[in-house]
Amino acid sequence: MSQTAVSRKTNKPPSPWKPAKPPKKLNNPGAVLSLNGKWGYLFTAPFFVMFLIFGLAPIVYSVYIAFFNWDALGTKEFIGIANFVELVADDRFWNALVNTIDIWLLSTIPMLILSIGLAAILHNPHLRGSTFWRTILLVPNITSVLAIAIVFGQLFGRDFGMVNLIIGSLGFEHIDFIQGTTSSHVAIATMIVWRWTGYNALIFLAAMLAIPGELYESASLDGANKWKQFIYVTLPSLRNTITFVLIVGTIGGLQVFAEPLILGGSYNGGDSGQFSTLTLFLFDQAFVAYKWGYAAAVGIMITVIVAVVSFINFVITRRLTGDSK
Amino acid sequence: MSFKMLSIKSTALLSAALLSIGALGAISPAQAVVDCTGATADSATCTVVTIKTFGDVIQPALVSDYKRLHPEIKLSIMKSDLDALNGTGLYTQCAAGGAGSPDIAAVEISYSGFWRAYPQCFIDMKTLRTTVGNKSATDLKKDYLAWRWEQGVGYNDNVIGIPTDVGGLEVAYRWDLFKAKGLPYKRADVSKAWDTWPKFIAFGKRYMAKVSAADKKKNIGFMDNAATIYAAIMNQGTMKYYKNNGTDAGQLVYKTNPQVKLAFNTTITAAKAGIGTRIGQFSSDWNVGMTKGTFAVMLAPAWMMDYIKGQAPSTRGKWDIADIPGGGGNQGGSQLTMPIKKAGMPDHKQEAWDFITWYLAPAQQLKVFQIYGLFPSTPSLYTDSDLVGFKDPFFNNAPTGAIYAEGVKKLKPIFEGKLQRCIDMAMGSALSLVINGKEKVSTKAFAKGLSDADKCK
Repeated sequence: MSQTAVSRKTNKPPSPWKPAKPPKKLNNPGAVLSLNGKWGYLFTAPFFVMFLIFGLAPIVYSVYIAFFNWDALGTKEFIGIANFVELVADDRFWNALVNTIDIWLLSTIPMLILSIGLAAILHNPHLRGSTFWRTILLVPNITSVLAIAIVFGQLFGRDFGMVNLIIGSLGFEHIDFIQGTTSSHVAIATMIVWRWTGYNALIFLAAMLAIPGELYESASLDGANKWKQFIYVTLPSLRNTITFVLIVGTIGGLQVFAEPLILGGSYNGGDSGQFSTLTLFLFDQAFVAYKWGYAAAVGIMITVIVAVVSFINFVITRRLTGDSK
Repeated sequence: MSFKMLSIKSTALLSAALLSIGALGAISPAQAVVDCTGATADSATCTVVTIKTFGDVIQPALVSDYKRLHPEIKLSIMKSDLDALNGTGLYTQCAAGGAGSPDIAAVEISYSGFWRAYPQCFIDMKTLRTTVGNKSATDLKKDYLAWRWEQGVGYNDNVIGIPTDVGGLEVAYRWDLFKAKGLPYKRADVSKAWDTWPKFIAFGKRYMAKVSAADKKKNIGFMDNAATIYAAIMNQGTMKYYKNNGTDAGQLVYKTNPQVKLAFNTTITAAKAGIGTRIGQFSSDWNVGMTKGTFAVMLAPAWMMDYIKGQAPSTRGKWDIADIPGGGGNQGGSQLTMPIKKAGMPDHKQEAWDFITWYLAPAQQLKVFQIYGLFPSTPSLYTDSDLVGFKDPFFNNAPTGAIYAEGVKKLKPIFEGKLQRCIDMAMGSALSLVINGKEKVSTKAFAKGLSDADKCK
């Protein structure tokens, strides 16, 4: 108000380039911070609101219903820790745990080796069309997991699957991938490896590109060949990335769900539960047995197991790739 | 036919009249032709009725018929691969007070025992009246098989579902393969040769004796999967896992019912005799095997006939249908229900009820049978010459209508309880342990099945 009055007096139109009111508070850094802080909260709010609704609230609620006998439609019956006591004695749960760990090992180790190898090939400066190869690596990852599972389920068919046609033409007896325990785990692990190798290779590639070139130069001056450079320069520099990929892979691997579901076509993980995984067992308990309290208890156990395995992972990778120079 | 004529009345009659006038050029076609094909939500001219279904419950030919009768109604039909039998969606929608519910939902028979315990998830069909004929569920009850009807009646006597087809279970077999192996191959002879399950297993052994060692190595066998015998025998008894003790919930008897043990042991005897190829039903190997003659026999509910035609068109005329051993069989069948909806969602009770009553009326069930082979649940048709006289050229001109009608008539009503499906899964898993050689001692597997079934409670 006063500004316009002033400008009228001096007969000068207010300059659009000058702020109408001198931003006095701008000189006070504390005030700017608090202003930024407010806006910051507003801008980050969507994530936290979503997280509260779809992340935290269900987690808290799962913990709550884990102490009840409840089928989601009937009445809740408080039963204390009975669900957990029953779970620890449930052989189906331990079967699912063993299957999950087996599938995880069968998928993670080959995936790690393959993706580091692929990344090393892509890292080669003489490679032609590197952008093309980098893009194509992501294709398996963006393919729908359902499509992958359906196609692989057919590839691993006992009588007319392509894998068995090759096995048969080599003169061996067909393998019943889906009915066998280890064989079904191999089939599922293959899907996971196929899907995630390219993605992880790109992560490793990014880490490799960040390794200073001087390290390689001095290594080659010292007479190290490409292989030795890889072992003594590249791998140790990838330590943090390996840890990251392993932990993310562990979280994903212990929650493997869609692949066994589509392979078996039902929540029981194969006719005799030979590839029932932890999450599949959880789902089976929630939607076949309609025991939501029990399923919630399974969910909590999965969380605990993921945390423990991730920690062990962390410690071991630190040791293995650590400063053993 | 008469029913169809009746239902044309009311609004449809009006639009049909408009249509014919439009065709005569009396009014402009734009005004007369209601085309709701592209409608996604209700509008002044179109009503969109959502149907959540699976498999072959809602048949396209009849949907087109209904569109012709009621151009103002768009039937929006949804299926889900991940929720193949519509179990999880309905369940979570009810838990959420009807949010996201469709107007009509198909419920598979293995779930109906469970839903009977929660009638509050559905609209009571006794309270609804058809636009034509003013009929409620109470008036329709007499049209359907009594035991099929009961499967859609809740604990509080609300009618929550109207029966679609009845599974009926007979045996589909490749007569050409039987003939090539020097076995009886005419349907009357075959039915007689395996009128009991032990005879069926013996028949399978005779077949296997003629299969060369090289073919055996290629997993060629007598029947697709011996595990299917279990459900067949269970359905031939008077009770499965529950006893009808007069209460709504029934009484769990799976531990003492001799039928469970009989079904389990017979299945294992069949599997150990090596008559099954151990192919999982509905797997890719099964689909291909049907064409290639990997197996010559499958236990086939009536609805399976359409599946065989779709998967193995090149085997036309080589199949035939024989009576199931033990007499009478049932597998599958569904109910059409109307789930509750949250307040504020579009109300299509009237349209949904009109469609259900039309679709499941005897005239339409007969048509579904003639086109797709699904067997009607309305007994008035069992003596209808259109059904009894029906011969299917795909199945070597077998009188499929008469065969399945005889089988369905032999069935005794079985009480379906709340945990039915969960117990079934536990027993099936135990069977599979033995069939796939992971457990050698069948009594141990049986005990594991029962103890896993205990965990359903």
